Amino acid sequence: MTERLRRALFDERDAAGLAFFRVLLGVLGCVSALRFLHYGWVDEFFVRPTFFFHHWFAPFARPLGATGMHAVFWTMALSGALVALGLAYRLAIVTFFVTITYVQLADVTNYLNHYYLVSLLTLLMCVMPLGRAYSLDALLFPATRRATLPGWCSVLLKVQVGTVYTYAGVAKITTDWLLHAQPLDIWLSSRTGLPVIGPALALPFMPYVMAWAGCLFDLTIAGWLTWRRSRPYAFAVVLFFHFMTSQLFPIGMFPVIMVVGATTFFDASWPRRFLPRRLAAAPAQGPRVVPHRALVALGAAYCALQLLLPLRAFLYGGDVLWHEQGMRFSWRVMVREKNASVTYLVENPRTGRVVEVPPRLYLDGRQQRELGTQPDLVLQLAHKIAADYAQKEGGPVRVRADVLVSLNGRRAARLIDPDVDLATVEDGLAPKAWILPAPTTRPPYLHAPSWNSSTSASRR
Amino acid sequence: MTGGPEPDDGAPTSGPGGGGGDGSVTRRMVLESVGVCASTMYAEAAAASAALASLTEAHAGNPSDDSLAAVREGWKAAIGAWQQVEVLKLGPAGPVTTPGGQGLRDTVYSWPLVSRCLVEQTLVSEAYADPSFAEDALLNVRGLAAAEYLLFFEPAENACGAAATINTSGAWAALAGAELDARKRGYAAVVSADVATIVQGIATAWAPEGGDLAGTLTATGGSGSPFKSDQAALNVVSDGLFYIEREVKDMKLGRPLGKVDCAEAACPAAVESQYARVGRDHVKNNLVGFKRVFDGCGEASARGFDDLLRSLGSADVASDMLSGLDGAIAAADALETSDLVTSLASERDKVEALHAAVKKVTDLLKTDFVTILDLEPPVIVEGDND
Repeated sequence: MTERLRRALFDERDAAGLAFFRVLLGVLGCVSALRFLHYGWVDEFFVRPTFFFHHWFAPFARPLGATGMHAVFWTMALSGALVALGLAYRLAIVTFFVTITYVQLADVTNYLNHYYLVSLLTLLMCVMPLGRAYSLDALLFPATRRATLPGWCSVLLKVQVGTVYTYAGVAKITTDWLLHAQPLDIWLSSRTGLPVIGPALALPFMPYVMAWAGCLFDLTIAGWLTWRRSRPYAFAVVLFFHFMTSQLFPIGMFPVIMVVGATTFFDASWPRRFLPRRLAAAPAQGPRVVPHRALVALGAAYCALQLLLPLRAFLYGGDVLWHEQGMRFSWRVMVREKNASVTYLVENPRTGRVVEVPPRLYLDGRQQRELGTQPDLVLQLAHKIAADYAQKEGGPVRVRADVLVSLNGRRAARLIDPDVDLATVEDGLAPKAWILPAPTTRPPYLHAPSWNSSTSASRR
Repeated sequence: MTGGPEPDDGAPTSGPGGGGGDGSVTRRMVLESVGVCASTMYAEAAAASAALASLTEAHAGNPSDDSLAAVREGWKAAIGAWQQVEVLKLGPAGPVTTPGGQGLRDTVYSWPLVSRCLVEQTLVSEAYADPSFAEDALLNVRGLAAAEYLLFFEPAENACGAAATINTSGAWAALAGAELDARKRGYAAVVSADVATIVQGIATAWAPEGGDLAGTLTATGGSGSPFKSDQAALNVVSDGLFYIEREVKDMKLGRPLGKVDCAEAACPAAVESQYARVGRDHVKNNLVGFKRVFDGCGEASARGFDDLLRSLGSADVASDMLSGLDGAIAAADALETSDLVTSLASERDKVEALHAAVKKVTDLLKTDFVTILDLEPPVIVEGDND
């Protein structure tokens, strides 16, 4: 290990920056949980559906029922608040990590990249002594108080946030995104009527400008934020980028989380610039404490996992946006517009009778939307249907799926081999031969209505 | 099962070389057309309902075979017009969860929420004669569905169980033929008048000289508008079009065919029109209503969804949807009789063809249509995204 790396990882640095990050993330976590409770999403997402999709690696994670799920979200909100306050920090951050991770595992259709990011950030925070500075814990137990934190804390968080940005950029290096500006073209063409920015969105070259700018932003922003001289400008771009995406797309807390994440790239003492003069001086650097070699190896393994996990999609070949093998946990953010028509065909081999099973008999509208675009979910529901009809029909049944999917504006094509009996197929990491190849057609270029068209319409 | 287009040589299916859009049609233009179209369709429904109300009143006062025939034709005209507006799920007829929705649809036509036994109990109790009936009556004892039973069902038996009060008390049996017929006529007049009042109210709400909901559709984003953007308004219009997916494809055709939610080889009891026996016409009118909304009511100057798709460069999607709709309407016309129950027994293959033709349209609706126009399928609980 080089001395430079050793210094970066083990030198003690001002705790102010990470304490501020802890406060912001705790507030965000609390607000996110309260949003779920306020909007009724706890019931909508975890109580009312009659069927829930599980991750193949976590079949045990199921919703706990109305009382249990409400308790989980209240616990998440409370623990988020405690993290922000720095009260019972270690217990609070572990609780927050467990609850937010659990709700993502409880039904796959709730998976979102930014929830996953919060899970990972809070997992890292579980092993960091962030509650010992600028916290109620430090106030109540002065003996534990510390003004500095080891460098590896900020390094791990930077690696995590940088990974998200960079892989989000890698995911955009596709012909759909760069050569056809899809799905941006579709999304922008439906927003040309927006006040102020609508006319600009209608400009023919705008989807391409935004596609390339978005890709370059994602690929390079971690670097610009790391370089001290470019950092202020880079953060301004971060603010602008995430403000625009929040205005254009329904992405909830994601922009705020990424802006907060970007603060991990700041100097360790950055909040002091905004503090009264008596508090503005950075504390003296504490003695370097080198953790046990096994812990260092664990940290390195974590970083390696984060760098390698998103790459697994490339092992499957083909278009990951179509077959979705390796799609989750790989930071493919806002890169596809996908809609499906799904019908299950259940055949009783003893009578030859075939019946259709619409997914809505098992799923709510939100789950249905996720189902058709993700083949492993189609498989899971097929298994459920097979089990139900086997009971009803008094023996095993064949379950096939008629699934037509439109990806990034291409004409719909069949996603799943309609002759395969999904009841006999097991899920796993192996390539799924029952997923048909992606269509080879190019996505369309949409001619968005111009500002003048819009004006003439309103004058009629 | 319908097949999707097969991958080709790599040429785009839309856009340059595939659709040649010019960006001349906006979502607001489509909303303008939808507004005009909805006003026209509700005005037609109101006129037909008013005619039915007059006919039932006349029939109740002076019954004859001719008046019965006339009132039955009047009911078919009224339900025919209403079936066309079933694909509109916005405005007062729309669900209360939609902007401006008052849930009036079910008070006009509650299918599939129907109960012959409850209507027969109402006949016995004469609750329909109560002045508060229009305000208090359950959905399944009023509207065009109740009127269908009252005008078309002639046998003297009832659908209630032997233990039902109207049977154990002898009240039903006491209604001799003439009295039962008279009550049916009176009840039909009450529900028809109620329907006429409600549909006229909806039509007035849409009319430019009334509530001008059509105007509201094109004033999105402003203060007082229930829609924050043209896209949001278009999405509510699109939600209504999905009526042909669940109700038409699955409930009106799939279930009777024994394909969906039916334990037998066929479920003729699930056919929509059990008494007037015009299930085929209902399906056709639903498709016609869809097509009218989709193509701007066929007006040359109007801009429908088809024009918007073409303007964007997806002429192929527009053409496929229109040809799919024409094919489905032709498949409905191909049935020998308007009675789907009879068709299920005598020409099942043609009913299957109709079902497949409708599925072809719904597949397009759920995939290419919503993708190109960036619409959300209905019943989506708004959450976050990324």
